[in-house]
Amino acid sequence: MEKKTVFIKDTNRIVQAGKDFDTHFLSYVREVGLEEVVEVTRVADIGIYDQGVVVKIMPGDIQYAQVKDTDIKRIVDETLKKGNVIQELVCTKEPKQLRVVLRNCGVIDPDSIEEYIASGGYQGIKKILSGMTPEQVIEELKVSGLRGRGGAGFPTWLKWKLTREAQGDQKYIICNGDEGDPGAYMDRSVLEGDPHSVIEGLMTAGFAIGATKGFFYIRAEYPLAVERIEKAIAKAYDYGLLGNNILGSSFSFDVDIRLGAGAFVCGEETALIASIEGKRGTPRPRPPFPSVKGLWDKPTAINNVETLANIPVIMTRGGAWFAGIGTEKSKGTKVFALTGKVKNSGLVEVPMGITLREIIYDIGGGLISDKDIKAVQTGGPSGGVIPKEYLDTPVDYENLQKLGSIMGSGGMIVMDEDDCMVDIAKFYLGFCVDESCGKCVPCRIGGYQLLRILNRISQATGTLEDVDKMKKIALAMQKASLCALGQTAANPVVSTIKYFEEEYKDHIVNKKCRSHKCTHLLNYSIMQDKCKRCRICVIHCPANAITGDKEKGFYVDQKICAKCGKCFEVCRFGAILKE
Amino acid sequence: MINAKINGMPVAVEEGTSILDAAGKVQVKIPTLCKHPDLPPGAGCGLCIVKIKGSPKMFRACSTPLENGMEITTHDPEIVAVRKTVVELILSNHPNDCLQCGRNNDCELQKLVADFAIRQEPFEKSLRDIPKDTSTKTIVLDPQKCILCGRCVKVCQEMQNVWALSFLERGFCTRISPAGDIKLADSPCIRCGQCSNHCPTGAIVENDQTSDVWAALQDPEKYCVVQIAPAVRVAIGEAFGLPIGTNMTKKLYAILRRLGFKAVFDTNFGADVTIMEEGSEFIERFIHGKGELPLITSCCPGWVDFMEKFHPDMIGHFSSCKSPHEIVGVLSKTYYANKIKVDPKKIYVVSIMPCTAKKQEILRSEEMFASGMQDVDIALTTRELARMIKQAGVDFVNLPDEEPDHILGDYTGAGVIFGATGGVMEAAVRTAYYIVNKKMLPKIELEEIRGLKGVKTAEVSLNGKAVRIAVAHGLNHVEFVLDQIRHAKAKGYELPYHFVEVMACLGGCVGGGGQPYGVTDELRMKRAQGIYQDDRGKQLRCSHENPLVQTLYKEFLDKPLSAKSEKLLHTHYKARPVYAK
Amino acid sequence: MAKLTRESFDTLVHQLSEKRAESNWIKVGMSTCGIAAGAEDVLNTLTEEAKKRKIEIVIKRCGCQGMCSVEPLVEVHVPGLPDVVYGKVDKACAVKILEEHVMAKKLVNDHIYELRTKR
Repeated sequence: MEKKTVFIKDTNRIVQAGKDFDTHFLSYVREVGLEEVVEVTRVADIGIYDQGVVVKIMPGDIQYAQVKDTDIKRIVDETLKKGNVIQELVCTKEPKQLRVVLRNCGVIDPDSIEEYIASGGYQGIKKILSGMTPEQVIEELKVSGLRGRGGAGFPTWLKWKLTREAQGDQKYIICNGDEGDPGAYMDRSVLEGDPHSVIEGLMTAGFAIGATKGFFYIRAEYPLAVERIEKAIAKAYDYGLLGNNILGSSFSFDVDIRLGAGAFVCGEETALIASIEGKRGTPRPRPPFPSVKGLWDKPTAINNVETLANIPVIMTRGGAWFAGIGTEKSKGTKVFALTGKVKNSGLVEVPMGITLREIIYDIGGGLISDKDIKAVQTGGPSGGVIPKEYLDTPVDYENLQKLGSIMGSGGMIVMDEDDCMVDIAKFYLGFCVDESCGKCVPCRIGGYQLLRILNRISQATGTLEDVDKMKKIALAMQKASLCALGQTAANPVVSTIKYFEEEYKDHIVNKKCRSHKCTHLLNYSIMQDKCKRCRICVIHCPANAITGDKEKGFYVDQKICAKCGKCFEVCRFGAILKE
Repeated sequence: MINAKINGMPVAVEEGTSILDAAGKVQVKIPTLCKHPDLPPGAGCGLCIVKIKGSPKMFRACSTPLENGMEITTHDPEIVAVRKTVVELILSNHPNDCLQCGRNNDCELQKLVADFAIRQEPFEKSLRDIPKDTSTKTIVLDPQKCILCGRCVKVCQEMQNVWALSFLERGFCTRISPAGDIKLADSPCIRCGQCSNHCPTGAIVENDQTSDVWAALQDPEKYCVVQIAPAVRVAIGEAFGLPIGTNMTKKLYAILRRLGFKAVFDTNFGADVTIMEEGSEFIERFIHGKGELPLITSCCPGWVDFMEKFHPDMIGHFSSCKSPHEIVGVLSKTYYANKIKVDPKKIYVVSIMPCTAKKQEILRSEEMFASGMQDVDIALTTRELARMIKQAGVDFVNLPDEEPDHILGDYTGAGVIFGATGGVMEAAVRTAYYIVNKKMLPKIELEEIRGLKGVKTAEVSLNGKAVRIAVAHGLNHVEFVLDQIRHAKAKGYELPYHFVEVMACLGGCVGGGGQPYGVTDELRMKRAQGIYQDDRGKQLRCSHENPLVQTLYKEFLDKPLSAKSEKLLHTHYKARPVYAK
Repeated sequence: MAKLTRESFDTLVHQLSEKRAESNWIKVGMSTCGIAAGAEDVLNTLTEEAKKRKIEIVIKRCGCQGMCSVEPLVEVHVPGLPDVVYGKVDKACAVKILEEHVMAKKLVNDHIYELRTKR
């Protein structure tokens, strides 16, 4: 019999169903004398969740779920020995991820141009330089329906077309690697894991718009990404895939790297351009758009890393193939950085149109604890929260926008009951206020004042009037800010108020934070029935807020209590109630 | 032509016209704050937002060009509400100091808030805790009042090419300060005051020294004399509601006497003397080959400071002649003091100037003490004089005309045109032409070097030789001229120019940093017209014709460039570091 | 290095495709997430220990797999066994992979996070 491997995993999130299942399995295998040809292995993760005990048999890729101890005999006798598939047990969970952008990440050595070429790399540019015109390249992009993955979702073909048509003796193409959203690191992974794909995408874009010079603008906080791109560029030059007359054609293309310097706002196109020009990184009014007047006043197109990583595949497999993935208006895949209270946090790449539920439960493995999901935050500091009622929403640009959030660059944070919506809004707004360039009033002062109000709400000094004030400021920021940072900085606030206004009111009127996040709204008290009167909390309290004696018991004086949580930390008897 | 609709009304404008300007064509006023006609739109404040049909966004009218078929709404409840929030946000970051502020009644933010009828402040006050910068003793920076419109930075960097001011830090902590967070006095600042002229609030004002002058006027030991610059007379009227460019010369003489000055002089007299000296200097260099060409004028202290810091290689080209008010100052304490038999130590000279840099100039070097003591004791700006007049309790506008003290107060048309760009050059040419060619210019008004173009050139003939003259104003226009000269000298070519006039302020002194707040091309032009009208009204239009100047030389100085003139009326220059440390 | 032309490019692709049949190999995820979790130590341990035990195996680096919460990730290819990706690999686990998976041809329990079904 051919050697077979059996993989076993109990996929139930909470109550484990199959105790010692693998021991039982192995013991039956031994019983029937198959231990030489059947290997039984417990795995840490099998890609299927909440389906009881899952048994996978390779080769053959047979997968059974909800397997009980009583099924072991059948599986060994029928499937292992005879090769028959037991239909009732079969679990056909299709793989949800579709790796297009991340096709080479984790597969090839990023420092090896040969591995990239061996995986089909630079075939796209070769095809283009074998007789295609820039117009044909743009047409292929149009067919593909690719939209900018940096967050705005602007049709890539249109951006290239407008830049191509603009007047200018010199044009530029820039790769935006400034990925500033907290928690988003898709671009970093692509730059570190498959740098050549981005170089190839950049070259293709340059060809399409008529640019002979390209820039990588990478944030300085990504030193490894910079190093990998630097090495990749050098290798590409060595092989003649950059520089003059690439692959013997008349197309020449040079690439340079420019580093960011710690400013989130420099991910915005015009601020990025100012940064490369050596000026203060602040946005400019648009129009004129960069496609007409960009870097050094020349027509410039700026594309996100993920967008560019899609280009070589679109050119080799065709725009129609790409358009076959995704929804009507959002084609292709999207890489999300799935983080938060989810079991499997990391990067996931899925076709557009997959639902949030599928991402979180089928790929993410569900929530990490036994708490209920509360909401999903998408789009980073420019996005909003999507409450659990909408988990079956197919993910695409338009749907997320309708819910009051955005796709953004791909941040997706799963939240449970322990996450306070006011706190979340505060975190994101605080980020934007910190990163505001300061040029325009609505963002600079509006963001600051909005944050002050949120701080007061989370410190028990908010009023109901504050909710209206926040909405007023948010409207001014949205309509009158100079760039998208200011225009979207209030989104988390607006979105959380929209869906969780009760939570805000709870903070304001009842001075309660049910998620126990806002420390000023916490109440620490001693549960007399559990308290052993050991006085450890008294000794550790920095505010001397615990008084009493061994006879009558100890009490926390709420007026003095600094809400530091030290008593909660040090009590060995669980006698401190935190609410 | 672009055809579109604004508030339902059709407009037709040239391509590239902003929505803001297009709206003006149908009498629609979109509120602005950071915008200034001198500068490209900053697009910072967010007040000029409008709606364009078909888009959910709002757009900045100052920087968005009108396009065919656009339907613009400039005012609707939502737009007005957003604008109001923007103003309220600005206010939350601005001290409620109006009553004590130097721009009370003359402030763009104050006017905006009044127009918006803001009656309460919904947001908590959050002010910057940064002290004032009074280091230059000329210009005062008050970061608390700054609304970060960025005009001063653009002016200092792009209009004046000095780069003393810049933005520091970011976000809510953004502030305006010299780069490196040093004091203004240690920065490249040339004290031209253009920043204060463009500032919409009281964040940048001049150092108000009126109390010193009041004290001097009250001091029985002091013999106070005063002089007024040419540009002051056509701008002071604006502080009293008179049309721009109204010539208040004779009323100024009157008010100054009422204020208590014992003698009222006119800087234009000094200008005439300057021409005698500088004209002779030019003739020495051009006709007799003594000294470097081109000769560059030096009566503008901002320009002198700029040259000493950034272009010290040009020192040899500078006219050594002092500026007109310094000339009047030193003569007051020597020539005049002798005449009236007053101890020069008691004489207190006040210069009323359109200029903030003069406050620094009077302490520039030892040569500003040529009389044995400080030649000009204090320089006040036009704005400070306006305040003094208002405090004096006199109906300035309706005063009867008076005459100056002729000895240092009578002037020719050539003297008064110093106040406009091209004026020094025109005055010099009028006299030089006469001295060399022994006849008057066929056309006494040199129109080619008048006006607001950044660099103006012309050619005149002195003794059959062509003299190429250039006039530059606004320091960002100067580098071009200097580079042409350097290039020619390096290559041994013929000089592109023999005589160059430079004024640091755009428009010349009429647009000076000490003139009434808010300067635009319209103001520059109309004030200049007032000056040229004064010139036309004069019987004597050339400096050499001034009989009191002739007397001065006959009785005191002997002749231009005499030893006495050199000692009293001339100065030297030296290279200075751009940054003080 | 001669600059590629369209023709020499095709030749190179052909050459590389022929080279591809390798015997044993291990790939260690060496992106920032991996390195932060200790992938560098894992890579070094694998290299040294393989040398010590005279195991014929190519040890390579690759980019981010995507399962960032269980880094360091190590993919192992030993003909005759399914390709698997081990996660949460530390030095001890790295040695186990060499001794059990590579040498004894027995997969390591409780560390497999992904089965590579297609190649």
